[in-house]
Amino acid sequence: MVSSGTLHVVSTEMTVGAFAMAGAAFLLAGLASHGLAGMRRHLTLADHVAHFALAFGLLAMPMAIVTGIQASPGEGVDHPLLINKMLLASTAFGLAFGVLLTRWRQGTAVWQDAWGRRWQALGGMASVGLILTTASIGGTFSRGESLLDMLHLPYEHVPLMPFWLSGLIIAVASANLVLLRRPAQG
Amino acid sequence: MRRASVFGMMAVLLLASSHGAANPSGVGSGTFDAQCGGACHGDADMNRSSPATVSVEAPSVAYNGLLTSVSVTVADIQTTANGLLGVFLLSDLTGAGDTPADDGWAILSNSEGGTENYVEARISSGQTEHTVSWTLRAPSIGTYNLHAAVHHGTQDGSEAPFFGSTLSPTVVEVVEVPENLPRLAADFAPPTQVTVGEASEIDLQTEFVNSVTVEWRTVGGESKTVVVQPLGDETWSFTLPPSVQPVVLEWRAHLEGDGPSQTTPWFQVNSDDPSWSVDETTAYAQSLAMLLAATSLFVALQHRRTASELKAYEAELDDVGGEA
Repeated sequence: MVSSGTLHVVSTEMTVGAFAMAGAAFLLAGLASHGLAGMRRHLTLADHVAHFALAFGLLAMPMAIVTGIQASPGEGVDHPLLINKMLLASTAFGLAFGVLLTRWRQGTAVWQDAWGRRWQALGGMASVGLILTTASIGGTFSRGESLLDMLHLPYEHVPLMPFWLSGLIIAVASANLVLLRRPAQG
Repeated sequence: MRRASVFGMMAVLLLASSHGAANPSGVGSGTFDAQCGGACHGDADMNRSSPATVSVEAPSVAYNGLLTSVSVTVADIQTTANGLLGVFLLSDLTGAGDTPADDGWAILSNSEGGTENYVEARISSGQTEHTVSWTLRAPSIGTYNLHAAVHHGTQDGSEAPFFGSTLSPTVVEVVEVPENLPRLAADFAPPTQVTVGEASEIDLQTEFVNSVTVEWRTVGGESKTVVVQPLGDETWSFTLPPSVQPVVLEWRAHLEGDGPSQTTPWFQVNSDDPSWSVDETTAYAQSLAMLLAATSLFVALQHRRTASELKAYEAELDDVGGEA
């Protein structure tokens, strides 16, 4: 019988590995889309790798979350690190989903204009950064140390909003997504 | 030139790993085979011998299915700068399938407040000896070996991990329970955790017992007796006093009946500060809010191209790709 702790390690490595590859590919795509370092001709390749790796990371993420909850000691989310981990993972998931949704709706035209290519590359890399920070919190929780400890991030503090504010943001964000489901009128 | 730079990069990455220390902050308590307590890469060929002396103290005879106490004492301790010492209770030293559970023992508690065979103790500066106790339920009838092992680092973290173990096993013979032996009920599980400032009321289930007395103590302190209330049907109740700070309390029961009188092993109860809590509904709602906010914010940022622009650029990029 494989323990949830072992499964969590496997699923986390799949998630983090995929996201790390996506991060490198988004960097290359950003450079290529700006015509830097002579990489213009590799834009299609970097674009495909970045978005496919990001999509794979998103698919692997739910398994990492479920096994992580099963493997954590105690009941529920009873530690500030676990709450911060959940909030960061959600934000990373949302951002990565937004990046993929934009790419799916607009195709390769996301690399068309200067701000479009900047946001796409930065959005992809930011979601990767958030996932790596989430993984770092996991290391701090389970082993008491992580590579990002040198940054002295305030993992112990939980910035929790009132429930009504979360509800308002959910309503506004959902309405926004519905209104933005079609291309801009020109 | 490109090959040389790739080779150089690989060499730097490979050499960098030798400057890392494996889990200097420990891995926390867990159920681990020998040497796997956070150092699976530190096998016998890579470890150095610990100067610590490790010994196991256990009764020579235990009763099938009843509770017994085993303690491991580590002397001549050397640890890392943060004082972490990993202690294993094991059924053998092969490094695979060697936890007590692999021999049929069930761990109910340990003196560090957990239920695992591997614990990480924090040793104070200047402390040279430390004892960890386990309460176990004995396996089926037979003869069993119990080993103990330790692993740790050095003060400056500069050397290989150290591993030490008992020189010879402690042998425990598990025999059938005598008829009418006063004992705790087979399904009784002593509590292992209480909150600081709260008294802990314990209900004790017994078999073949006419009277019970209970004594408690802090580790190394003088023992005191508490009042035990009979609740009927071989169930008894007593209350351990609240502690004013995190501490390990120990208690044991003296059982009187028609058979020979019995004394249970010392059971450890870890009193700890109240656990951190949060309104989970609020946290989950914020989590969903941040997910949707991040998605919609990014989609809004990129929402500026018309349908005709999107089609035109697809065609243009296809041309660039075709030339490449």
